[in-house]
Amino acid sequence: MPFLREQLANGLEIVAETTDDALSTSIGCFVKAGARDESDDLWGASHFLEHMIFKGTADLSGDEINRRFDWMGASANAFTNEEDTVYYATVLPKQQHEATDLLSRMMRPALRDEDFATEKLVILEEIRMYDDQPPFGADDRCRSAFFRSHPLSRSVLGTVASIEALPVEAMREYHRRRYSPGNIVLAATGAVDFAALVASAERLCGDWQSQPTINRCVPVPPPPESTLSHIVRSTATLEYAISMSAGPSENDPDRFAAKLLSVVLGDDSGSRLYWAIVDSGEAEHASCHHQDFLDAGLFATQLSCDALDVVDLLGRIEEIYTSAAAQGITSKEFTQARNKLAGRVVLAGERPRRRLFDIGLEWSHSGTYRTVADNLRIVEELSLDDLHRVLARWPLHGPAATVLAGPYTADSSQLLAD
Amino acid sequence: MKQTLFSTVLDNGIVLLGEALPSLESVAIAFHTPAGGIHDGPNRCGLATLCGEMMIRGAGNRNGRAIVEDLEGSGVQWSQAVSTSHASFSGAMVARQLSDALPIYADILRCPLLEEDQLENARQIVLQNLAGTDDDPSHRTMLALRKIHYPSPWGMPSEGLTAEVAGLGIEDVRAFVKNHVRPQNTIIAIAGRIDWDDFVANIQRLFGDWDATGQDTVTTGLRGEHLRHVFHESQQTHIALAWSAPPYKSDDSYECTAALAVLGGGSSSRLFSEVRERRGLCYSVSAGYQTQRDFAAALCYAGTTAARAQETLDVMCAEINRLPGTIEADELERVKARAKSGLVMQQESSAARAGAIARQWYHLGKVRTLAEELDRYDTLTVGSIESWLAHNKPGPLSVVFLGREPLEVPIAFSA
Repeated sequence: MPFLREQLANGLEIVAETTDDALSTSIGCFVKAGARDESDDLWGASHFLEHMIFKGTADLSGDEINRRFDWMGASANAFTNEEDTVYYATVLPKQQHEATDLLSRMMRPALRDEDFATEKLVILEEIRMYDDQPPFGADDRCRSAFFRSHPLSRSVLGTVASIEALPVEAMREYHRRRYSPGNIVLAATGAVDFAALVASAERLCGDWQSQPTINRCVPVPPPPESTLSHIVRSTATLEYAISMSAGPSENDPDRFAAKLLSVVLGDDSGSRLYWAIVDSGEAEHASCHHQDFLDAGLFATQLSCDALDVVDLLGRIEEIYTSAAAQGITSKEFTQARNKLAGRVVLAGERPRRRLFDIGLEWSHSGTYRTVADNLRIVEELSLDDLHRVLARWPLHGPAATVLAGPYTADSSQLLAD
Repeated sequence: MKQTLFSTVLDNGIVLLGEALPSLESVAIAFHTPAGGIHDGPNRCGLATLCGEMMIRGAGNRNGRAIVEDLEGSGVQWSQAVSTSHASFSGAMVARQLSDALPIYADILRCPLLEEDQLENARQIVLQNLAGTDDDPSHRTMLALRKIHYPSPWGMPSEGLTAEVAGLGIEDVRAFVKNHVRPQNTIIAIAGRIDWDDFVANIQRLFGDWDATGQDTVTTGLRGEHLRHVFHESQQTHIALAWSAPPYKSDDSYECTAALAVLGGGSSSRLFSEVRERRGLCYSVSAGYQTQRDFAAALCYAGTTAARAQETLDVMCAEINRLPGTIEADELERVKARAKSGLVMQQESSAARAGAIARQWYHLGKVRTLAEELDRYDTLTVGSIESWLAHNKPGPLSVVFLGREPLEVPIAFSA
């Protein structure tokens, strides 16, 4: 599986992990633009722009883009998160040129007034759709409480008010600054003809104008005092709780141990939270996951249960975290979680599309590349001491932002009063 | 493309299916036993799901914790699910772990403990999942649509009904498992880096002397009303439509699914173009196909703000109505390209292939080769689809609205 890299004169990077006998080719444009790059008057612009990219270029209508992807038989889509906007297509290898051509051209959209007005309606529908679903905005509220003034505090979708107020001119300017060639990685995995990929990029992207690089990392404020708030959803059946505490960032070597620790403590099955709360049927869901960003990291604990039980169960989760910090992880737990994670690494490595995301995001953020074997080695070389060090550096029972969403009860009222 | 498929039937009726995918490091295996929700019985909706949960809470000499720890300790990504037709136990893993995992699955199927002291916890898990479904408007909408569109018991939710799950006892569970979890019609499908002869020998050793018997007595009942408004306090109204379609085993299901793909199967489909792209009426709109063994349904779904829901429904119905007689050659070419590339790419996933070959055996009694499927897509023409549509116009519709207000079904489709 050779790894190949090239860079155009204007700064656009092209990377590929090639597997000659793969049945598919995955191609993606990884743009360094996400919610953290927005200001108040651009709130939601990265995600809105992701939609607008599919609405056409100067010489391609949105319908034509959709038709071309379907004509290629592509599995194509895009997503936006706090730090990245990613456009991707998985196609049969014979369609590599067509897919590269289309994705590259889409990066220079027309951003027409009439398309902007129509798509704004779609974005507002998307916001309302998520607002009607669990966890009813608790995740966004919690991230905001956890990161406070840090750019990562901003929700990806924006709000109804921020989207309604966003002018198309602001989006055009945002696109000009953020979709500059030095801010985009063109990545490919699977059966890739790398020479052809570079030639396509040179032809289609070579004349893109560079823009000044923007430093995205800012100092992270110290962990907050614990906070608790509640979103009242009187018609919800269950109560949803999300809690965030500090964890290692992407550039911290302990991030791998943090992921393994979260498997031990809060994986969806077979973890301490699972055996204590889910297996008994006391909660619909209880989990803990580590999430890392360029300059920050966190452990997110999620719980859904009967509203009458939420206070008790949050207390028990805190006891589980306190006990892990005081008494450590057993070697049996450690071995089981490590084997589980190793299995996931191998299975995830088999599909070109999944590898595309791993490779594209890693290269876009840090300019590093790891093979599946490298990832497996990292997991296999982790030790119990690594997990205990993570527990000491980032105690999960320490200060945390917690948000509840669901029916307001006397119990949750008491919790808030405390 | 070279494809290596295997199948054999053991003396006790277990069907073994395999597909070698030698470029992969993994194998995926799924055990589908015919203990699905259609066998729940009157006033026992959710019994099959409760049984599936009970079966993994102790089997052979392992308690529930040991089952999970032994599977996960071997790096197995496991899952358990109960559908209308089957209870399924699946796992994906690095190939060398298969020999450790197989005896655990054999115990789950052949000797589940079904201990009374596990019943309340298992019941609570089923009830928690039902409570979670209550908070998921789109899921609730589709459950309500199934219930009114399919005859009983096919439309009943295999997840269960809260009041009926609450009344189930340990004897219900033991009787259901004894009667329905049995070798006859059980399908074991494996795909990935496999040694077929070795696999068959292992299964023969673990399951060859399994001789449980039972009886299926599914009585197909009546359908419900064709129109239902489910009140839900939400910003969006969820719209779901269904009409009858040929089942997968019927050869014209290809014409039907191609027509549905033109209607709402991709980003250049008519529903996506007209409802979302042109008018911005919603974020989510699609059409699809859902099949049981003997009948199937065409499904459409959209979720949109209450004030724009009537227009959304009107546009959806207009597009459904417009479909016969208007399919264009380039639309069909796109549908074929998507379907064919999806089939080829499926070969990169052991779990997807294990699922596909099991599904085909259940519906067809055989596994279609990739070449057969690709060839069948090549036979589709605008003429063949239009001819099929001329005799199978969409409708009559089953309609569900979930939201604050009901909507008016356009006259062309009203009952």
